[in-house]
Amino acid sequence: MITAGIDAGAATTKAVLMRDREIVGYRISGTAFDFLTSAEKIYDELLLASDIDRNDVEKVYATGYGRNSISFADRGISEITAHAKGVYFLFPEVRGIIDVGGQDSKIIVVADGNVTDFLMNDKCAAGTGKFLEYTAKALEVPIDDLGTLALASSHPAGITSMCTVFAESEVISLRARGIAKEDIAAGLIAGVAKRIMVMAKRMALTDHIAFVGGVAKNAGMKVAFEKELGVTLFVPFEPQITGALGAAISAHG
Amino acid sequence: MQPPLKSLDYFQKSYDIRVGQLKEKRARGTKIIATFCLFVPDEIIFAAGAGRLVLCGGRTDTIARAEQSLPRNICPLIKSSFGAVVDACCGGNLSCAHVQLVDVVVAEATCDGKKKMYELLPEYLPTYVLDLPQKPGSPEAITYFLSELRKFGKYLEDLTGNAINEEQLKKEINSSNETRRLLHRLFDMRRCDPPPITGSEVLQVMQKQFFLSPDQFREGIRQLCEEMEHRIPPARSGPRIMISGCPMSAGNTKISDIVEKKGAVIVVEESCTGTRSFWDLVEEDKEPWTALAERYLRIPCACMTPNDQRISHIVDLARRYHVDGVVYYTLQFCHGYNIERIRVQKALKKEKIPLLAIESDYGDSDVEQIGIRIDAFLEMVS
Repeated sequence: MITAGIDAGAATTKAVLMRDREIVGYRISGTAFDFLTSAEKIYDELLLASDIDRNDVEKVYATGYGRNSISFADRGISEITAHAKGVYFLFPEVRGIIDVGGQDSKIIVVADGNVTDFLMNDKCAAGTGKFLEYTAKALEVPIDDLGTLALASSHPAGITSMCTVFAESEVISLRARGIAKEDIAAGLIAGVAKRIMVMAKRMALTDHIAFVGGVAKNAGMKVAFEKELGVTLFVPFEPQITGALGAAISAHG
Repeated sequence: MQPPLKSLDYFQKSYDIRVGQLKEKRARGTKIIATFCLFVPDEIIFAAGAGRLVLCGGRTDTIARAEQSLPRNICPLIKSSFGAVVDACCGGNLSCAHVQLVDVVVAEATCDGKKKMYELLPEYLPTYVLDLPQKPGSPEAITYFLSELRKFGKYLEDLTGNAINEEQLKKEINSSNETRRLLHRLFDMRRCDPPPITGSEVLQVMQKQFFLSPDQFREGIRQLCEEMEHRIPPARSGPRIMISGCPMSAGNTKISDIVEKKGAVIVVEESCTGTRSFWDLVEEDKEPWTALAERYLRIPCACMTPNDQRISHIVDLARRYHVDGVVYYTLQFCHGYNIERIRVQKALKKEKIPLLAIESDYGDSDVEQIGIRIDAFLEMVS
């Protein structure tokens, strides 16, 4: 049985194809203005690259912020359920998930792939990928380099503001004071980590924790979380696809 | 989907009738008392021959008017209510006709935000504040509240020129208890699976409870209960959800609407626009003032401390209505209900009943984000 999962995220669209519960292929691409067009495009690319005909796909499940726009999907499921299923497929021993995406961050408590509790961040950019994206810009560092840069810091700068707009001006004033780039980068990462750790501790995560979402690609962030939690995190080979993967697994039934 | 309950039309149509009734009453010299809260006993108001009208605001359009003077970071209910009064008294056309229909406001010392807002009201409307002891359950609290109620009675006597006699007060207690019994009948039917009425439908009714006259309201509930007894339950197989937390005043139906649009069915509301307004009856064989003081102090508002009675009541309701999960609703900046959520969540966790905390205001900007949380929660409890 061939199934597909589409994760129509706020910042990126992800697609995963599965055959008999094995991953055949996946695609990740930036979300354009229209969720459906973005999804159609990468789904077609993925089918072509995997040499699978669209009609041979038995079921397509959508997840993510734009899931209701994906008209070719048979069903939509919430990203919280999808991540739980996707992570369970990769790491069945995981009990807690930290997902930091472009628009929100969440803590999910799981038992055998089922969600037992979850917590999402407040309705603002603090503690999300957006925060890092904006502040990296103020630091004039490509977002992909921010984490590695932070790892080189020996004296992380204190960033007190968690409001994206205020933190941006804080970065500019730190730069004016001559603080090293890597120290500011480390300060930004520590700020986001601290914010998310409050949520993780509220959900009583202790060990067997997975870190997923676009921000999990940030090496500095992983180190910052591991320092706080005192455990090694499970990070998938491609941390952005667990939602789409979970959708494809759910489609399999 | 089966056709909507016809008796709900009664509540829709009753608005104009009630406004006409109040105008007529006032023309005949009856004083109309505006209230904002369940703690002000109807029985005493009616025994003094006055009328009652709720002014508690759930509309979003009066908030900007309130923010011209009030701080922005206080709860939307306070801002909406205040904005309606200010707008109406300053010749605005935002609010409905309610404010013009009242003679005095009888406020109550509940949360800090409301108390301080009430201090600003006398500039617009004569305002009387009923004090509340906030550590309920002790004999001293009852004694104090009893003295406050008697003082309030005296105030009403002076205002209306009518003496409150014990016989009349007892009659009013019986009449209010009758309303409470009818609401118990309505809520009891929601224990069925699936229930014969949705939460959004019940909310439409509950939001009219203190707007309509008691006779009007009871007639509507009677009709509704009878119609429900003959209604084949709608085929809704969604999870059974309890809403617990802040009131949803008229104009605010956001959370109930989202929860039910996502496929769940709300089976009970632990709120001022739900069980809190009618759950306990006033003892009819007791000295009426004492019986009133005791009953009203049992209202489990989060302004009380410690509010043990609320925690156990929520657990009881969850069992009684066989709920799959609780959506805990806090109005933005309502610290009392927001902090009390921690104790509620702990108590429910022991019973293995999941809780989702939602904090929101009257605006629509977070509808999608709340929807994501509700979707995930319903998938979790299904």
